[in-house]
Amino acid sequence: MSMELYQEYADALDMLDDDMRFEYIIDLGKTANEVPFPEDFMRDENLMHGCMSRVWIIHTVNDGKHNFIGESDAVIVKGLVSMMTKSFSGLTSEELAGITLDHVRKLNLGALTTQRQVGMMAMLKHMQKLAAV
Amino acid sequence: MTSNLAYDVQKIRADFPILSREVYGKPLVFLDSAASAQKPRQVISAMVDVMENDYANVHRGAHYLSQVATDHFESAREKVARFINATEDEVIFTRGGTESMNLVASCFGQAHLKGGDQVVTSVMEHHANIVPWQMLEGSKGIEVLFVPVDERGVLDMAAFEALLGPKVKLVSLAHVSNVLGTVNPVEDIIALAHSKGIPVMLDGCQGITHGSVDVKALDVDFYVFSGHKLYGPSGIGVLYGKKGLLNSMPPYQGGGDMIETVTLEGTTFKEAPHRFEAGTPAIVEAIGLGAAIDYVSEVGMDAIAAHETLLLEQAMAKLSAIEGMQLIGTAPNKVSVLSFNVEGIHPLDIATVLDRQGVAVRVGQHCAEPLIKAMGYEATVRASFGMYNTLEEVDKLVAGVEKAKKMFGA
Repeated sequence: MSMELYQEYADALDMLDDDMRFEYIIDLGKTANEVPFPEDFMRDENLMHGCMSRVWIIHTVNDGKHNFIGESDAVIVKGLVSMMTKSFSGLTSEELAGITLDHVRKLNLGALTTQRQVGMMAMLKHMQKLAAV
Repeated sequence: MTSNLAYDVQKIRADFPILSREVYGKPLVFLDSAASAQKPRQVISAMVDVMENDYANVHRGAHYLSQVATDHFESAREKVARFINATEDEVIFTRGGTESMNLVASCFGQAHLKGGDQVVTSVMEHHANIVPWQMLEGSKGIEVLFVPVDERGVLDMAAFEALLGPKVKLVSLAHVSNVLGTVNPVEDIIALAHSKGIPVMLDGCQGITHGSVDVKALDVDFYVFSGHKLYGPSGIGVLYGKKGLLNSMPPYQGGGDMIETVTLEGTTFKEAPHRFEAGTPAIVEAIGLGAAIDYVSEVGMDAIAAHETLLLEQAMAKLSAIEGMQLIGTAPNKVSVLSFNVEGIHPLDIATVLDRQGVAVRVGQHCAEPLIKAMGYEATVRASFGMYNTLEEVDKLVAGVEKAKKMFGA
């Protein structure tokens, strides 16, 4: 399973203190759009419900590998969505189905509130649902 | 700006144990009392005391403890009644404001609403004063009418009057908006509705905390509030109703303590309030609410309101000096519930930066999605000030917003 980006994020977060993690996620949010999220896709059917900000995630499959891109109108959430979608793109169905709360926790490491962690788990579940795994 | 020298906010703060804690290594600045207020030691002690010394089920046992617990519980009801100038048989204990409103929708609905009847509410309401009526649209075929608000967040009274046609059987409006802090002209609303023979329910969940409420002077038919916003515990709420109206309604739930006699052929029900209090009530919580009422009464509701107004005025003046600031809700008559956004920054980003500074605010739609949309937003930041907040905390809010502006480059 190729999860280099995931490992990079997890290692970076591990080295930082709480305040720095917070800024790291904001920076990710500010620089997330090297692949711009197409505006046409900011439609209700791509919207995740139950968030304090709006989150859109789209899913494609290439050669049996699942890819995601995400967007949010809040920078902090965009940082989290970006980390989640990049971390867990390029996986097969079986690999994606094997991603659990433990993986998500490593992208969080106490820098954010429990509610945000619940939000990240909801993102994972949403991605798994989009990919029908 | 007048200062309120007699109001000793530091003495009040010392009564609230949680206010001395830190979050993220910074002193807690709690500006989310409109969602749920913190509790003074007097409330906590009253609840612990009854559980440690005087606890038993109420209205049942012949034994000593049951009588003591019943005395405490009924004395809490008396305190509520005195606090709003009602009589005890007009005060029903519920689980909270939401249950109080659902009780009226369900029981008033069963007794007095039929298909084609109308209920008037407004765009400004908390979902708890919208959804129960929409459920009756589905089940009974009633129609719900909404009074619009203007760009300041003020109810359109001309539109309200125009809605009061012959099919309207109940008006149900907020006393104070939980998002904007707008104080509605409830005397005028009640007088207008009564002139057409229509009863009025007020959602007082915010109104009860920011000033004195006299249900008799208002001549309101139902008044609803929760304990936890009034510095009391969660799990307890109040429904005030005029006695005749309450007894015209069927029970909400069936069970123990609400019946006169039960035979296998049928049951007769007690009068209000017990008719609406099936099962073991929230005994400890009711006693906690009684202690909260003692506490705020001793400080004085008018003194609390004056202090909160000072905080609101300072916050509005300082926040509006920030470039891009959008104060949402600028009604001339407004309490210390303050919604705002900063142009170009998502409210969740602002709230997250504030949180890291120890400043607790709410963000989102505040259970009032139609209102947020009507005001032209997706979400707002909401700071709400309570009896224990200080001018220094207002400054921390302002500094936090300025920090968010720097971090997000707007």
